[in-house]
Amino acid sequence: MSFSESQDIEGATTAIQSQPDNKTRRYDRQLRLWAASGQTALEQARVLLISASALSTSTLKNLVLPGVGHFTILDSALTTPADIGNNFFLDPDASLGRHRADEAVRLLLELNEGVEGVADTSDIESVLAQGPSYFSAFTLVIAVNLPQSIIERLSPLLWDIPTGPPLIVVRSAGFLAEFFIQFHDHDVIESHSETAPSLRVDKPFPELLNHALQLDLKNMDPTDHGHIPYVVILVRALEDWKREHGAPPSTYAEKRAFKESVMKMQRHQDEENFEEAAANAYRAYTSSTIPSSVQALFDTLPPPDTPLDGQRHFSILLSALRAFTSEPPHVLPLSATLPDMKSDTENYVALQNIYRRRADEERAVFRQLVRDAGGADIPAEVVDLFCKNAHAIAGLKGARWGDLDTDREKLVSRLQTAPREMATHIALSALSAWLSLNPITQTHANGNANASAQNAASLAPPLPTAEALLAIVQGVVGIDVELGKEVHDAVGEAYVSPHSAWRSTHHLHDSARAPTADLPNVAAFMGGLIAQEAIKMITKQYVPVNGHCVIDLVDTWTGIIA
Amino acid sequence: MATPDVARVNGSSHRTDWHDRYYHVDQVLDRPGPRTDPSFMAGAGVKEFLRTQCKILVIGAGGLGCEILANLALSGFKDIHVIDMDTIDISNLNRQFLFRPKDVGKPKALVAAEYIMKRVPGVTVTPYFGKIQDKDDDYYMQFNLVICGLDSVEARRWINATLVNLVDPENPESLKPLIDGGTEGFKGQARVILPTVTSCYECSLDMLNKPTAFPICTIANTPRLPEHCIEWASVLEWPRVQGEKKMDTDDPEHIQWLYNIASARAKEFKIEGVTWQLTQGVVKNIIPAIASTNAIIAASCCNEAFKIATSSAAYLNNYFMLIGTDGVYSYTFEHEKRDDCPVCGGESLEVSVPRSWTVERLIEMLVEKQDIQIKKPSLSSGAKHIYFQAPKQLEEATRPNLEKPLVDLVPDGGDITVTASSLPFSLSLRVTYV
Ligand SMILES: [Zn+2]
Repeated sequence: MSFSESQDIEGATTAIQSQPDNKTRRYDRQLRLWAASGQTALEQARVLLISASALSTSTLKNLVLPGVGHFTILDSALTTPADIGNNFFLDPDASLGRHRADEAVRLLLELNEGVEGVADTSDIESVLAQGPSYFSAFTLVIAVNLPQSIIERLSPLLWDIPTGPPLIVVRSAGFLAEFFIQFHDHDVIESHSETAPSLRVDKPFPELLNHALQLDLKNMDPTDHGHIPYVVILVRALEDWKREHGAPPSTYAEKRAFKESVMKMQRHQDEENFEEAAANAYRAYTSSTIPSSVQALFDTLPPPDTPLDGQRHFSILLSALRAFTSEPPHVLPLSATLPDMKSDTENYVALQNIYRRRADEERAVFRQLVRDAGGADIPAEVVDLFCKNAHAIAGLKGARWGDLDTDREKLVSRLQTAPREMATHIALSALSAWLSLNPITQTHANGNANASAQNAASLAPPLPTAEALLAIVQGVVGIDVELGKEVHDAVGEAYVSPHSAWRSTHHLHDSARAPTADLPNVAAFMGGLIAQEAIKMITKQYVPVNGHCVIDLVDTWTGIIA
Repeated sequence: MATPDVARVNGSSHRTDWHDRYYHVDQVLDRPGPRTDPSFMAGAGVKEFLRTQCKILVIGAGGLGCEILANLALSGFKDIHVIDMDTIDISNLNRQFLFRPKDVGKPKALVAAEYIMKRVPGVTVTPYFGKIQDKDDDYYMQFNLVICGLDSVEARRWINATLVNLVDPENPESLKPLIDGGTEGFKGQARVILPTVTSCYECSLDMLNKPTAFPICTIANTPRLPEHCIEWASVLEWPRVQGEKKMDTDDPEHIQWLYNIASARAKEFKIEGVTWQLTQGVVKNIIPAIASTNAIIAASCCNEAFKIATSSAAYLNNYFMLIGTDGVYSYTFEHEKRDDCPVCGGESLEVSVPRSWTVERLIEMLVEKQDIQIKKPSLSSGAKHIYFQAPKQLEEATRPNLEKPLVDLVPDGGDITVTASSLPFSLSLRVTYV
């Protein structure tokens, strides 16, 4: 937790706060992750969940608890005994035979009186027939285990709404599951990256350099000497080194010698600040440059001087940042946040002020560049936030759901680069396709609580076989692709035990084992993952998944197909 | 009103298992998967064990505990016990979904147990409102499995050591799988510990995040961060001004007092950023917590419990780590057992220390060192008492040793036994001097 640099000392310390209100206390543990701004975004969000299955209500529970503004459950099914058996948000004494959307909404709303929830028991077909207007009222749409044929209509419909809601498509079967987030662009200013911004030890700005050079190290009072912050020590040591050697240390031997030169500046063993400087010596010979992730974002921009009118704010800010970095010393705006270091109050606060003054100046330059780039209407706090987080911004370019499955070349290549992930994905896709043709409607379980076990068995539908699913896979990737061998080769001995057949067949067997099983633990696991992603999408803080995320809870792993 | 088949009959679990109750779960219990161990007895046998015989203990009814209880109940565990010593606080309500505002102040274990039994018929949840340390070996012996959803390192070390000590090689029933979960913000981990067989909690102590500790001289003389001012208020000013009065970090008036003192100090030193929220966070060592991460980790723990109880799939070997801050990143790996683990290893831990070290300096190291972290250790070497924290007379008798060089009391290559009242095991050190 760090201080806000814009806070004015008088204001911060004279305005004494008292215990926060009940709402702040209730949300305290999450406000420490996404702050008031994230909470506001969450409270303004409207989320649509299609289906009221166990996995869906598990997801919603994790959005209702932190205080999502509104949710709608769209589901026309009536509650079955099987539903009550695996869904915590259905009531064994009351829900049977009623609309499960109504029941789930009622029970979910008990978790948080600040949340609005609506059940829509319309048929999904009739909603799709209404066109985009129904969906554009939502911030986010989550579709859980919908038939392939429905997803194939829903995803293009949402994709074609220019500012339409992102769509999270979730599939699960037994111990296996996956999800995919469909979106056009997703920008993150507050990624909460753990990578700290550069302190510019290697490229000190004038005031920092002067401060370091003015120190009279020889005649300094011993107490002061033991309290010089390591940043200052390093700037000074590097300057001395450059004077002697002409260039910063570059070879391994030079770096070692530099580190030793820092240690030689230490007067006594108990001067911990010099030890800290030696431990941070890499900062002096690691060049402060533009992080590759930020550079990659610059590469997505049109050439400089292209008018950006009407562009998204993020593009304008990015363009201003590129303009900032095009000037020497080709670095990102300075961060005012100084990490803690061995020092005394006076020296540390003095250094902090040096950084703060410079950061203020560079922020002013950045603000001007934003205006020059056509961003005069971007709120000042957004500009400043962007400037402060410049080293860790993220801009994701999303894809349409289903694109992977029609890109045969990519499928085949990913089968080699991410074999177990891909195997899980194609197994679930094949199952989904099979179920579209052979729907298992649970009619044997539906509503008829008194049906005997024998009756139920006789009504049980045929289950997909491995052969049937394999045939579907082969149809997708091409009959000419020898799946088994490639997968087997890529995965290698380390993963596949010698006596077992190739991996993909395994997953298909697993799918076939539990084609419609919404296991409580898998539902809860997925409910947690999907809610994390939903919160990241809604708050625009932290970085969501871009690609297919697959989950195998037999061997307990998750993976991404990018 | 339609009600699932005889669900309202309160009797044996069979009578509440209405037709299709386990439609979903039974799909993985009726058929093996390709990776399922051949010993898996698909069908009635495994269901019978899970639903009528298996007894499981859940430690903690908080963020993870609420989720764990619900998942276990829906998975078909019918005999669940839960221990928790806490009462419900308003800040629990953003994730502990079995609690409502009206429950604030009530014991977590009791409210959670009642809620689960109301929602999932036929499940018995037996709560205990108290400490895990209140229970003896016989109590822990009755369970087939133990799941831990705790936020305390001390409590985890205690249950881990207790379950390792419980193992009797002659009695296979004495080996109780321990499944442990933990979260922080968007991150978490779940692991399966087979006491004495796999790496235990103590084996991995060095993986914990190092707690931020500020040197007392920084707090007293050279504060630089708002946290330093808050520590000054709580560590130095509270005892100085309030005397014997115990600080209660749950009391808003106490937090207000600390906040006021810390703010004044920050103003004096021109340090920015002391807020009420930060004050509370520092003095209570608050770890951010959200429902979604707890759901993932609790589900992972329960999935392992389900797999162990049914053999329907191989269980985790032995560590699953998840980071959700940047996409979804996870890592599943086998954490290795440590031969010098004080709980399950059997071998002494080798330490080499400078000849100049006093006993006090060694104690400082035992408190701080990442893979040891023993608060208030007592030391002996053979029959010789080096330093004892208690009883009072022994403490007084051994106190003069604190300032003596260690080398005067323990020869090179000598052994030291370290104990602490909070830990049900002893650590043996082999000391060499450099
Ligand atoms: Zn161990």
